Amino acid sequence: MTDPFTIELLRNYLLVGAALFALGMLGFIARRNLIVMFLSAEMMLQGVALSLVAFGRYHGNWSGQIFTIVILTVAACEASIAMALVVVLYNRRSSLDVTLWQDVREAGVSTSDLADEAAEAAPIDDEAGVESYPHLTPAGVEPAHPIQPWTERRR
Amino acid sequence: MTTGTLILATLGVLLGATGTFLLLPHRRGEAKTRTVYILGAVFAGLGLLGFLSLLTPPALSPLADLIAGTFFYVFAAGAIGCGVMSVTSRNPVYSALWFTGVVISTAGLFLLVDAQFLAAGTVIVYAGAIIVTFLFVIMLAQMEGKAVYDRAARSPGRAVFTSFLLLWSLAYCLAGVRGTPGASDGNAPGPEARLVRGREIAAFYQLHEGNEARVALDHALRPTSALFADNDPAKPKPNVAGLGEALYADHLLTVELAGSILFAALIAAVLIANPRRADAQA
Repeated sequence: MTDPFTIELLRNYLLVGAALFALGMLGFIARRNLIVMFLSAEMMLQGVALSLVAFGRYHGNWSGQIFTIVILTVAACEASIAMALVVVLYNRRSSLDVTLWQDVREAGVSTSDLADEAAEAAPIDDEAGVESYPHLTPAGVEPAHPIQPWTERRR
Repeated sequence: MTTGTLILATLGVLLGATGTFLLLPHRRGEAKTRTVYILGAVFAGLGLLGFLSLLTPPALSPLADLIAGTFFYVFAAGAIGCGVMSVTSRNPVYSALWFTGVVISTAGLFLLVDAQFLAAGTVIVYAGAIIVTFLFVIMLAQMEGKAVYDRAARSPGRAVFTSFLLLWSLAYCLAGVRGTPGASDGNAPGPEARLVRGREIAAFYQLHEGNEARVALDHALRPTSALFADNDPAKPKPNVAGLGEALYADHLLTVELAGSILFAALIAAVLIANPRRADAQA
């Protein structure tokens, strides 16, 4: 009996994996939030894992799935270390912006002041738009809080 | 690869690139109008449709294949669509949630290639552990309101051009690959343009018994590493049992290495996240 998993089916999976990889690369290049950049890297890993599993199925062995298990392990380690790094970086500069870390670049590479540029040219829209947050209706008059002895102790 | 497919691939990639560019944040963080978003969504959707029509539909005659084919298209569209949304979302929390959609769609695709254990493992590890870690860090480190760096993208035009050029060239290369020649393939080109299955290489090159290459091939293709018993696709091995056998018979060192990496990462994460403690002891 011939294998029903033909090269056409393999190509389908490889194309989807390639699309996930390209989208992850786009997110890694274009976004400036450290966490979103990291999510995009994980998306690239997903595309590669999909290709590996499909290749393993095509060749009729388990290697693709075993590679993917290794990828899962490495991704978990990577996520834990990267999140620890992100927390440390956030504590240093109180921002998740990756362009704030341009001073660790190689010598001779020019910087770009994207942050200043964006801060100047980006008014947060006051009118209701797609990118604005909803306005909450103000609550009524704040009632008088009688001071209890146990709340006094907390102050 | 026919010219029609090439034009279709180019059109789909171009439409998808335009739509994704419109959906991405502005370079200087200027707000985009609703019309731009709708236009971008329409372009990206058309590009996704063009990309999906590149895929070869499975034989749709028996009911089982019909269901599997439908689910393949659903999961493929879900993975790519959720991927676009996760890359273009302004809010990192939404990005993380859309990424969960990517993970679940990928797990569905794993199910369709007979990788049940990996489907469950991906959902547990990614959607259950990694995404929750991301959400915790977002909660710890999110600025109030919309941050500037979430509303602005870093050179989105060039980034879209680069990554969609990569996608187009990958699709172009993949479309030219052909499999093991069947009986109908008379004038078969050389093996370079073909992807021959591992267990069919010996037959493809017509290696006789005792040939050195064939002996090496027989050593490489061990019975524990095969998905099917007796190399017969009608007799698949049970998934978890077969995977465990291959993992602990052929790849034992890999398991040990994975454990060491996890241990090292544990220590590294603890040390990186508490730098003051190291200072205090020194």
